[in-house]
Amino acid sequence: MKNQIKSMSVAVALVGLCAAPLAAQDNYFAGKTIDVIVPFGPGGATFVSAKFLEPFLEKHLPGNPQLNVIDRPGGGSILGANWFEQNAKSDGTTILFTTSSTANPFVLGQQGVEYKLADYRVAYSHPFSAVAYVSPSTGIKSASDIKDSIKPLVYGGIAAAASDLPGLLSFEVLGVDVKSVLGFNGRGPVRLAFEQGEVNIDYQFTPVYLTQVVPSVEEGRAVPLWTGGSIDGDGKLTQRDPIAPELPSVYEVYKEMNGMAPEGIEWEAFQGVASVTYAYGLTAYMKPDTPQAVLDIFEQAIKDINADPEFQAESLKVTNGARLNAGPATEAAIKSALSPSADVKAYLKDLLSNKFGVKF
Amino acid sequence: MLDHAQLALEALFEPVRLLALFGGMLVGMVFGMLPGLGGVAAVSILLPFIYYLDDFSGLAMLLGAVSVVYTSDTITSVLIGAPGSPASAPTAIEGHALAKQGQAARALGVGFLASMVGGLSGAVILAVAIPVAGPIVLMLGTPELFMFAVVGLFFAASMIGKDLARGLAAACLGVFLGVVGPASAAADFRFTFGQVYLLDGFSLSIVALGLFGVAEAISMLSCGGGISHIPVKVSRWGEGFSDFWTHRWLILRSSIIGVFGGFVPAVGASASTWVAYGHAIRSAKDKSKFGKGEIRGIAASEGANNATVIADLVPTLLFSVPGGPAAAIFLGALFSFGYYPGPRMISQNPDLMFLIIWSVALASIVGAAMCFLVTPVLAKLTRIPFGIIAAPLILIMVIGAYQSTSTIGDIFLLFGLGALGWLMKHAEWPRAPALVGFVLAGPMEQYFWLANQIHGWSWLLRPGVLIIASFKSVFDFHPYFFANETSITFLGVPLGFDLSYLIFIFLSGKIKFKIIFAYCSIERSLPVPILSIVCLNRFFIK
Repeated sequence: MKNQIKSMSVAVALVGLCAAPLAAQDNYFAGKTIDVIVPFGPGGATFVSAKFLEPFLEKHLPGNPQLNVIDRPGGGSILGANWFEQNAKSDGTTILFTTSSTANPFVLGQQGVEYKLADYRVAYSHPFSAVAYVSPSTGIKSASDIKDSIKPLVYGGIAAAASDLPGLLSFEVLGVDVKSVLGFNGRGPVRLAFEQGEVNIDYQFTPVYLTQVVPSVEEGRAVPLWTGGSIDGDGKLTQRDPIAPELPSVYEVYKEMNGMAPEGIEWEAFQGVASVTYAYGLTAYMKPDTPQAVLDIFEQAIKDINADPEFQAESLKVTNGARLNAGPATEAAIKSALSPSADVKAYLKDLLSNKFGVKF
Repeated sequence: MLDHAQLALEALFEPVRLLALFGGMLVGMVFGMLPGLGGVAAVSILLPFIYYLDDFSGLAMLLGAVSVVYTSDTITSVLIGAPGSPASAPTAIEGHALAKQGQAARALGVGFLASMVGGLSGAVILAVAIPVAGPIVLMLGTPELFMFAVVGLFFAASMIGKDLARGLAAACLGVFLGVVGPASAAADFRFTFGQVYLLDGFSLSIVALGLFGVAEAISMLSCGGGISHIPVKVSRWGEGFSDFWTHRWLILRSSIIGVFGGFVPAVGASASTWVAYGHAIRSAKDKSKFGKGEIRGIAASEGANNATVIADLVPTLLFSVPGGPAAAIFLGALFSFGYYPGPRMISQNPDLMFLIIWSVALASIVGAAMCFLVTPVLAKLTRIPFGIIAAPLILIMVIGAYQSTSTIGDIFLLFGLGALGWLMKHAEWPRAPALVGFVLAGPMEQYFWLANQIHGWSWLLRPGVLIIASFKSVFDFHPYFFANETSITFLGVPLGFDLSYLIFIFLSGKIKFKIIFAYCSIERSLPVPILSIVCLNRFFIK
């Protein structure tokens, strides 16, 4: 209750601020500190991306605020997001920067979720593809061999209902028999377990793939398979990912294996979950009562960052040149993806509770 | 290789970078001396400042702080008896006991020199081992990591006090404190009773400060005495130097233990310090003085903790998986300077690698020298009656504790645990196993869960698991059978043939015979950890 009164009074104060002329926005963040809450441990893709964007946001936000990237891991990102729900300020100085690990438990109405993600405002998002790869010890040489593994496939993940969901669904779509081991505390340790041979099929988000897995591929210790794909004009995940164009998408792999385009509830579920995960990848959320003026400031800053040649050069190095998204269209797309159809919801709940023992 | 080393040294000797390194060292020294605040706090405080510097200077500053914290924490541990950082709790036990006997200078001298050797071993290992450390890290799968944690816990439970049952009970208490808060494998909470404060679990620095720092302060105030009954004089370093030389091999072995602790992600300085301390007890002929002021205990634990924090950088640089909390922050700094550690790091940025090595080596040596210089001044503080310095001391501990979540819960928890620690001290229940249990509860649970999911029960027979399980001095159930057979020694470790050999062969029929044979001939304490795993399994099965 106290918190509510406090945040309401902050909101009232901010409404007052927003009424002030545009000129005041020039230095909106002057002398302020923005806390970027990352609900995962340091070393994972989200943390790396937040640190990567930090200097550009500091440079392009009006008033050159200081950014602090704070990691709050735990509960497969639910804890950090709950902390954000309880403690974040609504003036744009607290940002929740996270992946579908936070979105999926919310969509599925999982126990322990206190944050109301669909109400949050979207400040910006960083698209992130994921690449699936296997160990050569499985005998698999390319995506179409996936069913001919000479060893049982073992996948390592954090939590079924989190960012592992699109990966697990892609195995369902393709009908691949994979044993899933969940409970790692980040994708970094999973990668280590892959190198150790404890798991032999893995998904990594592109930046980690490019810096950590590609060297293994070159040394013949990993075989890249496919990417999640990217969206075509109709919002379907049929296209190859521009970040790793040499690899087929899940859609293509299915077509090659079965001679027809994928359909059915598995595909629909994959399509929905994967587009939130990959197409909008990492999303920066703010509290619902954050004033529109703050979101406009961020939209402008993101435009400036995308145009910054230094960002373009760095981004080419880390993500093969992915650009940031911001603005009303992005926000609308993310919000609609956060509310899937009842059929898909029911299928996901059924799969998660029966196959992965997730409690609802 | 060598020209990269030379280039990096030249780069480090630019005035700005040296200044940054020494600035970091000063901060590290102060944080090491403040009870409960360790490397993590020092590095977090410095983090915002490094961005005003260039990449090499900024990283040198962080490394300066990390390398010195575990040297200067010896001062607080010895003079006050409160661990300067969580990983120097054994030093606090032995060193403070020596200080009370008027031998503070000896304890401090050995502590500083051992820390220096630990830091230098870490630096050498970084330089030499990075090309070969990859395979070692990769040999340690989740079952091995679980076994490491279990062995660490048993080391701690068995080493202090005569009563093993109490040690185990204290370790269980620690594990219990450690499971409060988020479960590691599911979005579930335990023992939170609807309190928001408990959602994050307890912080290590509060548990260490409460059980040791506050408890010592209460106990000293309640007996009305000073820190030392006679004022501590720190003047004659000579004895410390000769002790250091006597125990040089022990220190080196402890540093190697520390380095291995660093290789293993999630087994931090606190755990490997105890393992090294346990090794010191195990390899000593006269064990009676441990707990009452034994210089070997200080030599071992200070050698180990410094080596661990440096070796924590090995998995960080090779795999981007931080070996400990301070290394995690260092990783963040590397990212923001545009370095993405990974298998290519060594070939792509050899200059940076050597800069890290030189910074650590230089900071270890200069840090020890600085500690020798400031200690005589600080020792004068002990002439002040404790009643007078108790208030500011407790205030500092409260501030340290309050850094964790900055809520009032931190302070309640600090004093709650302080009272518990005081009760334990007076009832002669060892507090160290509780601390180690707390530290290892998380990794133990997580690795157990993963190991069982990935390997089923077959992981119990993996060679790595068996070798780790047989690590020395876990317990000695059967020291009486073979006590007199230890005439041959290897690096000072008594060798002998015994029961565990037979069990080993029995358990590992399929495994390469010769390696087992060679290994068993130097080991003799396997049965108990194996039995304990079986018990633990029963306990964990639903």
